[in-house]
Amino acid sequence: MKPLVLYQLASLVLLGAGLAGLVKRRTLVGMLIAVELMLNGAGLSIVAATQLTGADATLGQLATLLVMGLAAAEATVALAAIVVVFRRFGHTRTDALTTLREQQ
Amino acid sequence: METPAILAFGFYFLVIVVGCFMAVGCASLVRALVGLVATLLGVAGMYLLLNAPFMAFMQILIYVGAICVLIFFALMLARADADGDEADPAPAPRTFKGILAAMLPGALLAPILMLHPTASKLIPAEVPLAELGRRLMEDYVLPFELISVVLLISMAGAVLLVWERRDK
Repeated sequence: MKPLVLYQLASLVLLGAGLAGLVKRRTLVGMLIAVELMLNGAGLSIVAATQLTGADATLGQLATLLVMGLAAAEATVALAAIVVVFRRFGHTRTDALTTLREQQ
Repeated sequence: METPAILAFGFYFLVIVVGCFMAVGCASLVRALVGLVATLLGVAGMYLLLNAPFMAFMQILIYVGAICVLIFFALMLARADADGDEADPAPAPRTFKGILAAMLPGALLAPILMLHPTASKLIPAEVPLAELGRRLMEDYVLPFELISVVLLISMAGAVLLVWERRDK
């Protein structure tokens, strides 16, 4: 099997695990962990595709750095949102978060 | 690939798969986070195998060092222990949907990858660190500046969201 296919299968495993976690988890933190798994799979796929073909390898590494930076920004905002949800509801279970407006 | 490379790849692949199962399946969110860290370290090993050591160190620095520590702080808000929010087994339809969600991209993409493999080199390309920095400062200076603006805004937004007025 070609090396690139092996790396892409590894990132496919990460994507599948992330999707499964996103559906299965019932707390916001668990879902955030699943999203990080998927973003990692994307990064691995980009780097493998540019390192192992004739494509511009520098561009691939810079693109993955960009993905990592966006993941950090996303995690920051998501965690702040989790803190706000926890203050308002007292928990972060997704099945009970069904209202947007303030409770009267 | 050479035999040692295949062995190393297999080891990292195993670490990633075990870490994924822990991150998705564990009832305790702390253990799920440990699984996430294992997965991130496995991916960092794959970056090393791909001859991209800078990416491997950035992976450990940003993901393990920053994001996982951040998630760990948020875990203190969730009831993360073994009898917390995730403790009782998920209802069967939910688990079934999760397995389906994992299988769908695999069933769609894996056959395509196997049947039509892209021509790939055996030796990964080598990118000197100076070249990365030069491209970042010359060709891709706009994305570089934009990502710092995005990080600044998200940081300010996070502070603003969790701000508590003292006079309230």
